[in-house]
Formats: sequence, C-alpha cells, structure tokens
Amino acid sequence: MAHHNEDNEGSIGTSMHGVTAREQVFSFSAHEGEDVPSSRAVRFDEPTAKFALPVDSEHRATVFRPFSFAKPHMRAFHLGWISFFTCFISTFAAAPLVPIIRDNLDLTKSDIGNAGVASVSGAIFSRLAMGAVCDLLGARYGTAFLLMLSAPTVFSMSFVSDAGGYLSVRFMIGFCLATFVSCQYWTSVMFNGKIIGLVNGCAGGWGDMGGGVTQLLMPMVFHVIKLAGATPFTAWRIAFFVPGFLQIIMGILVLTLGQDLPDGNLSTLQKRGDVSKDKFSKVFWYALRNYRTYVLFLLYGFSMGIEMTINNVISEYFFDRFQLELHTAGMIAASFGMANFFARPFGGYASDISARFFGMRGRLWTLWILQTLGGLFCVWLGRATSLPIAILAMMLFSVGVQAACGAIYGIVPFVSRRSLGIISGLTGAGGNFGSGLTQLIFFSSSRFHTADGLSLMGIMGMIFTLLVAFIHFPQWGSMFFGPTSDELKSKEEHYYAREWTEEEKQQGLHEGSLKFAENSRSERGRKAALDGSSHSTQPENENSGNV
Amino acid sequence: MAIHKIILASFQICLLIQFSHGATKERLFSDLEKGALDVTAKPSRQGVLDAGIDKLSITWKLSSTAKTQASFKTIKVKLCYAPVSQVDRPWRKTENELFKDKTCPHKIITKAYNKSSQSFKYTLERDIPTGTYFVRAYAVDAKDHEVAYGQSTKEAKTTNLFSVQAISGRHKSLDIASICFSVFAVLALLVFFVNEKRKAKIEQSK
Repeated sequence: MAHHNEDNEGSIGTSMHGVTAREQVFSFSAHEGEDVPSSRAVRFDEPTAKFALPVDSEHRATVFRPFSFAKPHMRAFHLGWISFFTCFISTFAAAPLVPIIRDNLDLTKSDIGNAGVASVSGAIFSRLAMGAVCDLLGARYGTAFLLMLSAPTVFSMSFVSDAGGYLSVRFMIGFCLATFVSCQYWTSVMFNGKIIGLVNGCAGGWGDMGGGVTQLLMPMVFHVIKLAGATPFTAWRIAFFVPGFLQIIMGILVLTLGQDLPDGNLSTLQKRGDVSKDKFSKVFWYALRNYRTYVLFLLYGFSMGIEMTINNVISEYFFDRFQLELHTAGMIAASFGMANFFARPFGGYASDISARFFGMRGRLWTLWILQTLGGLFCVWLGRATSLPIAILAMMLFSVGVQAACGAIYGIVPFVSRRSLGIISGLTGAGGNFGSGLTQLIFFSSSRFHTADGLSLMGIMGMIFTLLVAFIHFPQWGSMFFGPTSDELKSKEEHYYAREWTEEEKQQGLHEGSLKFAENSRSERGRKAALDGSSHSTQPENENSGNV
Repeated sequence: MAIHKIILASFQICLLIQFSHGATKERLFSDLEKGALDVTAKPSRQGVLDAGIDKLSITWKLSSTAKTQASFKTIKVKLCYAPVSQVDRPWRKTENELFKDKTCPHKIITKAYNKSSQSFKYTLERDIPTGTYFVRAYAVDAKDHEVAYGQSTKEAKTTNLFSVQAISGRHKSLDIASICFSVFAVLALLVFFVNEKRKAKIEQSK
C-alpha cells in the first residue's frame, strides 16, 4: 500500500502547498483509520481539546480569529504576516527617501531606475527557492533566516557612497521578499483548506501593506532624526536602522514564539514512518508543461509587478511633479500601499463570489475586469495634472491592481494539484519579474517623463491582461468558451489525473488529486450545485461516463 | 442617478481648481528682465569646493542697464545647477514656467533691495549635492513675484562655474553600529539554531 502525501508537506520543493489555495483537507477525514502520512507527525488519536481554536483531524484551525494570538495557529498567522510586512518595509524603505539619497550619492535617473529594478529582482530567485527551504527547515526557520540574514544588508546602507553601492545594497535587501512564500507556507500548514483562501488573502494583503507604510514611516523617521540634529545626508542612513531593528525584533519573536506545525516544531517532532516525497523534477516538469503557468506568471507581473513598481516610483513622482514636502509625498504614496488592507482580500472574495454563480468562468472575468480597471486608472494617474485628480486616480488604481492580485490567487490553486507549490511560487516570482521589467522600460531612462511612463505602463498592463482570455480549463471553460463537450475531458478528474503517469496511478499516488478534483466541482458554478448530488454517489472512477 | 450627479459635480470642481491654478502660474522666466543685477560669486579657494567647509563671496548690485528697478522689493540669491549637472536628472530641469523651474533650488540669502552694492559670504551648506553651480539673484516685487534677475555666469551658463563636492554623510560611529547589529543578528540566529538542534538530539537519545 503506497503512502501518499496528500498535502506535499514532506516533499521538498513541492511545498508552498495551498498558497491562498482552497486546500482540500476533506480528503483526510476518509483516512483516519489508516497510517497517516508521516510528515504530519501526529497521532490521529491525540486530543484536540488543547487548542484554543477548533481544529480538524490534522490539527489545523477551522476558524480564523484575527484578533486572537493563541498558539499555535493565530500566533503563526500574525508572526508570518508581520514578518512579510517588515520585509516589505525594508525592501521599499529607500523609495520615499530617494530625493535625499539622489543628492547624497549624485545619482542619475538611470541609477535610480536600475536600483529599483535590482530591489525586486533578487526575490525572483529567492521566492522559488523558499519552498524547498521551508520543507527542509520548517516555516519558522525559513522566516527567521530571511529576516536575520537580510538585516545586515539593511544596516549596510550606512556604508553606501555611490550608485554601484546603492544598487548592490538594494539588490541584497530585496531577497527578503521571499517571506511571502514562508508566510503562506506557514498559514497553509496551520489552517484548514476551507478558510485558507481568506487567511492567505489577509496575510498576503496585510503584508503587502508594508510597501505603503514604509512611504510614511521612513520620511517621518528621517524628519525626526534631522530635528535631533543630524545633517540630511547622514540622517537618511540612520533612518535605515529602523527597518533593520524591526527585522531583528521580528526574527527573535519568530524564533521564540513561533511553532512550525500545529503539534510542535519540526526538529523536535519525530518523522515517523516512511515519507513518500514527490520527485521535484516531476513536479517542476508538470508545472512547466502547463501553459497556464506562464500566463499566470505574466498576469501577476502586471498586477503585483505594477504594484511593486509604484511602491518604488510614486513617492518621488509626487514629490517632483507637485512640489510637495517629502513627508506629504510619502503620505500620499503610503495610501497606495495601505489600500492592500482591504483591496487584496476583496479581490479574493470577489473571485469566490463570482465562482459561486459562474464557476471558474466567473473568476476569470472578475480577474480581467479588476486588472483592466487597474490599468485604466494607471493611465489616468499619468495624465492627471492636478493633485486631487492624481490622488483619486491613484486610489482607484490601487484597488484595481491589488484586488487583481487577490483574484489571481483565487485561480492559481485550480491550475494544478500536483505542482501547486511550484506554480504558486512561479506566479509570485512573476510579480517580481513584472516589476523589474516595467521599471526597466519606463522608469530607468530619461526617455519618458515619469508621468508618461505611468500611462504607458497602464496601457501595457491592459494589453497583457487580455491574456486572461487564454486560460482555458476543459472542464470549466474560459472567458469566451464553455467547457469542452468531450465526455472524458470535461471531467475534473481527467484534468487533474493527467499529471500522473500510468505507473504512478497504479500505485495510487494520484488519489489526492482525485479527491481534489471532486471537491473542485464547485468551479462549475450554479450548475454544480444542481448536478452535485448525482456525482457524489458515483464511484471515484475516471471513466464514469455520465457527465 | 444621484451618484452620477455627484461624480459629475466633483469632476467639474476639480477642473475648476485646475484652471484657476493655471491662471496664476503662467509667469515665465523669459518674461523676466535679464541682467538687471550684476552678480559675482568668488570661491574661497581654487579647485573643487567642499560642502560644509568652503565659502563663496557673493556680491550683487543694480546693473546700469536695468529698467524695472522701481518695483524691486527684495533680492533672493540662490545657488543654481549648471547644465552639466542637469543631464539625466529631470528633477533639476530648467523650465520656462517659473513655478515648474527647478534650476535654482538652494536658497543662499534673501535681503531687502538696495541699489548700492551688496555682498554676502556664504558657507556651502552640508546638504548641497556634488555638482557644478553658478549663482543667480532674483529681484522680487511686493507681491512676491519675480520681475528681474542677474547671474554670475553668461546666458549659456558655461562660463564662471564652480564645482562642489558633497559630504559623504558617512560616519565611523555609524559604520561600527551597523557592523555590531549585523553581527548580532547573524549570531542570534546561529545560537538559536544550534541550541535547538542540540535539544532535539538530546530528546532523540532519550
């Protein structure tokens, strides 16, 4: 009897399972009597009464109480999102201070633009690697490693004396954005699949807020340090100690208060039994083979990517174009990032609601609408010549792109079951790629005024968003086409099972995918609710003929 | 429908604000009287000047060719970027509209207008960036509008310029603090890590 690893916890590189996904833990309840996958490392008969929140059979929380700090679930949630938030603060800390830094280091527009590109490029790779790191060390050490090892890079801003140094330091700081992965990984092991969408949407959105808070925080800190007597060219360097301290504090909190899994830490729990690890090469291969991976990579590049680009350029833009004080420009820029607090969860929620009525097709349309509106308002922002209109356009723009981010991660979980972790990671990396690309094209040279750069970026975003129309699921359809009429291909089981070879299927390794397929029938929309009853009584057989 | 009306109304208000702004802000640099003041700026020493240390001796007086001196109330003397320091730096761009022009962001001194020769010894501030500069004096009227100017260089802004080297902003104490905290961060992580691995081994051997 093959031991299969439903939730990829033990499989290196396949992790990040359920990143904002609808992780179906339902599949576990049917296996309570059997050997449990050892990576869970928990006995099925352990008392669950010791947890502050109600938990399922895997000891994952089944409710989300954001005001609670109870261990281990809510504590992990808060440690995770605050760590991610702190890293966002560090990565974009330079942006609101650029008007001072550019004078101190004698930077040109190209220098500033290139440093902005560098600040988001590092995370392309660190986000990909982070899944494997969390598998090996646990989410706690994954997070702590990022926080503590990137803190020196934040402090090293005090050594920077020219454009090259500035670029290198921003590049190195940017690696810590991989806390996105460790944060989502941590919540995925702590929360049940039915609520993981909301939990991850909140963790992602609240973490992204850091990009907004930093625009407010850094100018304020800079101002206070100047009042204390420091000259501007020294004050900004001292200001960087604040994000550095925050990282150290969070790192210590994560190490002392955090817990890898609901039942304990990875190193103190024994790995019992045999662990069937899915092969990284296979998981990676199936991710690469699925064309939707690339589409999502690009789409996230023009939602999250644009958001990160704006974090880097918007403060300087308002400072220069409207002749504002540094902290006023910072305040306006901050409101962009702060909208994440509700905008990203809203996007995920909108995706879920549209799926209830129209299934996956509803999700795709929701994504297209949100992201296109975001691009449209970005064009308007570039055109705006008066401050009130610019602020209005910016706020509408922020809600559009941030909700689009949430909506994308409402679709990601359904693209693949086997390669979910990798695809989530690749999508996340796409965000950084898009940010680097847009900064390189529009904001690194004197070819465009920043205002024109914004408008052109919005247009480019709207064009790339048309790619949503190409995401087609045989079982659910796409924006313009319904599901295929082919009896075999129109079943969810067929789509998810084709990621496994015949030998693997014979070993029963694909059981998890089949269970997921059954639960994903809700993506058919209202019809599923009507047809659902007839399906649930059928044997789990890919070849069942009735559609 | 009520929402439509509100949106339309606010849009119109915004447009109104925009237009009203435009009416007052069209004062152009080209409208100012050129060379109304004779300005000289002499650096305290040869070579590249150090911000925070070196000085400039600035003098200005009414030029013999000046015409609009009746409206002069105050003289604003400013430090301005030469064209070579504006390359690839759009935040220092020269624009004809006075409110947009970023050529002269650094204030030196503001003094009441006096038709006899005035002077001022200016120590370069510590937040002056590295670059090449000249000095310009604006003659401002009672409404705080510029009416004329004079500068220490010719119109092409290529002669009589001086270079400034900014302070680095770095301090040894800052460097040391930075190293200390970095080391602390890495050590803290290692200590925790090693400690936990040891505890896990002890539990395993039990």
